[in-house]
Amino acid sequence: MFRSPQSPQLSRRTVLRSSGAGFGYLALAGLLGQDALKSQASAAVEQPLLPKAPVLPTKAKRIIFIFMEGAMSQHDTFDYKPELIRSNGKSGPGGGTVTASKFRFKQYGETGTYFSELLPNIAKHADKMCWLRGLHTDTPAHPQAVVQLHTGSANAALTRPSMGSWLLYGLGTDNQDLPGYVTINPPPNFGGAVNYGSAFLPAHYQGTRITDQGYLPNLKAASAAKLQRKQLDLIQGMNRDFARQAGSPDPVDGIIASYELGFRMQDKVPELLDISKEPEHIRDAYGIKDGAAGSFARQCLMARRLSEAGVRFVEICQGGWDHHNNLHKGLLDRTASIDQPTAALLSDLEARGMLNDTLVLFGSEFGRLPTAQGQDGRDHNITGYSMFLAGAGVKKGFTYGATDELGIKAVDGRMHTNDLHATLLALMGLDHERLTYRYAGRDFRLTDVAGEVVKDIFA
Amino acid sequence: MEPSFHPSLLQDFIGTHAALLRRTVGAVSVVAGLAAPSLLANPAPDAGQDQSLEFFEKKVRPILVNHCYTCHSAETKPAGGLRVDDRNGLIMGGDEGPAVVPGNPDKSLLLTRVQRNHAKVMPKEGELLTDTQIADLSQWIKDGATWPRERIPASIGRASAEYDKLKAEHWAWQPLKAPAVPAVKDTGWARDTIDQFILAKLEEKQLSPVADADKVTLIRRVTYDLTGLPPKPEDVYAFLKDSSDNAFAKVVDRLLQSQQFAEQWGRHWLDVARYGESTGPSRNIPYPHAWKYRDYVLDAVNRDIPYDQFIREQIAGDLLPAESSTERDRLLTATGFLALGVKDVNQRFKVRFTMDNVDEQIDAVTRSVLGLTVSCARCHDHKFDPIPVTDYYALAGIFTSTDHCAGVRNKMGGGGLDYYDPAMLVKLASDAPPVPEGDVEKLKAQVAEAKEAWDKIRGTPEGLARGANGQPKQRAFRLKFDRLQGDLLALTDPAARGHAVHGVRDAKTVADTEVRIRGEAERLGPTVPRGFLSAFQVPGTEPINPQQSGRLELAKWLTSANNPLTGRVIVNRVWQSLFGTGIVNTVDNFGINGGQPSHPELLDYLTQEFVRDGWSLKKLVRRVVLSRSYQLGVDAPDANREVDPANRLVWRHSPRRLTAEEIRDTLLVTSGQIQPKPEASAAKELRMIEMRDNGAEAASIHRAADKSLSRSVYLPLLRGVTPGNLQAFDPVEQTLVTGQRDATTVPTQALYLLNSPFVRKEALALASKAAGDTARTAGDWVRQIYLLTLGRSPSDVEAARAEQFLADYESTYQAELGDAPVLAQADVRESSDTSTTDETAAKPPVVPENPDNVDRSDQVVVDEAVVAPDAKTAAWLNLVQALYASAEFRFVR
Repeated sequence: MFRSPQSPQLSRRTVLRSSGAGFGYLALAGLLGQDALKSQASAAVEQPLLPKAPVLPTKAKRIIFIFMEGAMSQHDTFDYKPELIRSNGKSGPGGGTVTASKFRFKQYGETGTYFSELLPNIAKHADKMCWLRGLHTDTPAHPQAVVQLHTGSANAALTRPSMGSWLLYGLGTDNQDLPGYVTINPPPNFGGAVNYGSAFLPAHYQGTRITDQGYLPNLKAASAAKLQRKQLDLIQGMNRDFARQAGSPDPVDGIIASYELGFRMQDKVPELLDISKEPEHIRDAYGIKDGAAGSFARQCLMARRLSEAGVRFVEICQGGWDHHNNLHKGLLDRTASIDQPTAALLSDLEARGMLNDTLVLFGSEFGRLPTAQGQDGRDHNITGYSMFLAGAGVKKGFTYGATDELGIKAVDGRMHTNDLHATLLALMGLDHERLTYRYAGRDFRLTDVAGEVVKDIFA
Repeated sequence: MEPSFHPSLLQDFIGTHAALLRRTVGAVSVVAGLAAPSLLANPAPDAGQDQSLEFFEKKVRPILVNHCYTCHSAETKPAGGLRVDDRNGLIMGGDEGPAVVPGNPDKSLLLTRVQRNHAKVMPKEGELLTDTQIADLSQWIKDGATWPRERIPASIGRASAEYDKLKAEHWAWQPLKAPAVPAVKDTGWARDTIDQFILAKLEEKQLSPVADADKVTLIRRVTYDLTGLPPKPEDVYAFLKDSSDNAFAKVVDRLLQSQQFAEQWGRHWLDVARYGESTGPSRNIPYPHAWKYRDYVLDAVNRDIPYDQFIREQIAGDLLPAESSTERDRLLTATGFLALGVKDVNQRFKVRFTMDNVDEQIDAVTRSVLGLTVSCARCHDHKFDPIPVTDYYALAGIFTSTDHCAGVRNKMGGGGLDYYDPAMLVKLASDAPPVPEGDVEKLKAQVAEAKEAWDKIRGTPEGLARGANGQPKQRAFRLKFDRLQGDLLALTDPAARGHAVHGVRDAKTVADTEVRIRGEAERLGPTVPRGFLSAFQVPGTEPINPQQSGRLELAKWLTSANNPLTGRVIVNRVWQSLFGTGIVNTVDNFGINGGQPSHPELLDYLTQEFVRDGWSLKKLVRRVVLSRSYQLGVDAPDANREVDPANRLVWRHSPRRLTAEEIRDTLLVTSGQIQPKPEASAAKELRMIEMRDNGAEAASIHRAADKSLSRSVYLPLLRGVTPGNLQAFDPVEQTLVTGQRDATTVPTQALYLLNSPFVRKEALALASKAAGDTARTAGDWVRQIYLLTLGRSPSDVEAARAEQFLADYESTYQAELGDAPVLAQADVRESSDTSTTDETAAKPPVVPENPDNVDRSDQVVVDEAVVAPDAKTAAWLNLVQALYASAEFRFVR
């Protein structure tokens, strides 16, 4: 009979292993310095997602990004401009008719921040927010702008890694039983998977996509736990034999570990995503309900549970804000679906003390114009728009930057998407100029060759 | 006259054309001197120029900014295709024609459309222009439509001492050497010259190669490396029994002649060619004919088309002679290489769309064939390699002179078939299959009927009344008319009928192109004659035929035996495929930042031999696998590991992990479920309409991929729609040239192997054979399953453990559940087409007019159970699956 000669000799595990991990390891050298590298080398290679020390003083440990895909109209929600009301009906600069919001605004909190009547619940958190009101980006079309917001570049010819994958690459993740980067219900268009992909970074840094039902492929055990354990014991027995053979491949130890982890994930992840076990008052606060109407509320609650469990980057998404027409009814509908859950998420994070180390980012790929488009709509505006941050590392009740009096162009505290990314990385303890990965002959960054950290917003 | 730029022409150019240029408003003012450092980059313009510029800035630009920008600028959109923030934008104009004809206000649409008595007076919104403003616009156009000049960076075209040094010193672009075969101490070891090169380096470091691999290991290794599949048990038996000297050579020759070799090695090229069946981000439009290029590649590998010819066909197939229409079609299909890249069809500006596609092509060609990152020189001179920005635009001119026939056009915010441009497909040369006339007549009648019905109800109170679904009743009529029209087109349009490919052809206008300042498509610098790279010289290079794009000469330049990179790069790729690491470990980058070759002399030696052998990939592969170096065992003595941990010197054979495709294919082959090559690709059925991740089209592709039992190279591979059964094991990133796959270890791989319905189904298929066989013993089947999955027999201990597992599992199963098959449940991909239907029915969209407002919430996921019929089969299923899941299974040693 034919057998490979098997020797019981135990092979030594060496440092350079599979190409993916190997490159990650080499790039890591630049981040950690040589000494740190030596101590972390085998861990970094064997388990690339283990937590890594940030290079800068850490302000936030994790991010929840609440993405309002399609460009929510700031003029009708949270960007109050008295001049817009005064100029209502007049011709706007660049053409078009200046059109004030049909919704009433009023002031909230000690900061007296204005919100429209569409966001009464979110408005209650006015004093926690750190507004970025001088944002601008490069392309007034969703497909490129959404991709740029997520990857730093709108150049379709060279796909870049997404923001969350850069964070995993730089920081690893705290909970090895869970994916470190989760995106719930991401946009199915506008770049689709590119927005949570890892491009040229190794695949383990990519985002794990789950649905708002908490569905993840291959997570449900194929057989009863006792039977599957029996099968797994057989697999692991074979794996240990294989690891003992002379010259066995280096990653076998990692494979053995990955099976135990996968087996545990089958229980832990569904448990974590099962929001039915949350107490009634929490579910009510978020407005949890079944069906499409409850989608965003479920995402918010899952986001809190994932963050609480140590997931580094969670993104949730509500689309349908592209109001070229039907602005009035469209906004009523969309804001109704996000106002209560978003507010509940902020309250819940605060009640659990999580805002001390969790950073929340809320906003769209760009804004809309103060002028009218058609009967009842507003067109895109990339020259000045707002997002807010809340939680770890940022000032509370603070506003950075401003647009002109009609809210068209950012005139003060201007922040490009690259600056936003540089600042987010800095808040997470990473230097955007040093977080690099060598690909196709050069070192790539999330911020390409630009990006200024806006320290003014740091708490 | 176009300003031209070339080192030798520069002095002439500056002397004779500078004055002319200064008058050519909006074009280039002057060029920095290559050998004339005293020349200023931006000399002071003359006085007249000064005045007209001032007029523009004071009077004209404010009109454009204040009244037009909201709908016609880079920061907003080009409504009607027009932008007014760029002089070329005005001159090229929008959908209705040029907006500005310098010197001729009467012919300038910009002026006509702002007249108050024009039926469609501009601006549409806001205040109309005053008479003074109109007069100012008119005056400005009459005076030649002055625009501020582009400032040309002084660095453009300047000779660089640093570049000269790099050109002279970097190994990769020196001519191939004919190295002497090194002497070795151990004269008995080498079997081929390759081995002498390997052994000489080892001896230099006082290392010895480990023992040869045993025959069982060797046949599994070579079968996977050459075909991507495991050896059949009978092939293993035959090889073991064959004690002749050329037993291994016989195996190798059999594998080289098999279709499976083409499937494996064709796939290697498809990785490098960033093959994908859709445009990818930002709006994902399918390429329904891309599979023909895939088949072309597999066929070329199968026939061992010489590599130089293979490259020439892909870059200039349309310009090569063909003896028959079948051959013409084959050559046209080859140019799919250039067309099938990522494209941003939502790009607002044609010039940017063009230059982005050109860049994508330059990147694909130079990285795949030359191992150089020429794209870095799009915006500035290459930071590391001696590739000036002028070289980049010399190449760019070749591609701007080429029609990029992927079948798409650019448009901002389009929907439906807006992005489809059948004129921008390459029609095949052979006769299209005849149109079924009867069907066409019948359809024409139906279209006419539907049109009449639609015209009749359109806009009537009855038509506008809302039906039960909340939609106006007339909508159904419109939809019917649209559908029938589409059906008719599908029958009569040769492209729609599949008689076309995505490829390229020479453009109607063939011309050199301008350097773009900082890579910005609109900012024109000096024009550069079309040409190739200057980092190295290729003796015998033919000048570009001025009547053609230059792709033919580019193809010849690339594949000249004197090109120092092309041969080295492909030989290195082959080496990597067989040894796990290239002689140069950065297979896609041979530039300054790439790796140093571990065996430079061997690389040159093999490349020379490869060219001498007629660029035959099969001969190269054969020679390498027959070397003793390839046939080493995997043992790893500590002494060797300490000196050379990465095994760069090849003292043993490095194990490699199977690719995603190899894992899936092995399951299909071992279960016996494998099906032959499908006729086309599931993508063939798609129309060139944006495809969303959760739409019916993507769902149909996922379903087809999930159901497919053919080899993975034939799966539909639309960008962003990666087949679920490839996802766990680092599938290729289809948007990028990828010469090297990742091999990560993550728990999702464990979950996939434990729980995926596909893995369970394949395990069940094999398990059913074992469980249902009364003629053979359990022991026989255990051995057979080991042979199939791991390519070897089990040890006695392993066999006993497996049989023990079967007995244990069966009894536990029965104790837990009886014989009732209730336990096995597995996930399947969400059936999003169902959920989409549900959504529409349950909840009328808030903004039905905007196709970009897509909802995707609340997707229904249906679980599929893979169930063994009884306890015995369940036990076998779990044994087979355990072998599939074992670490040994996923490595080739």
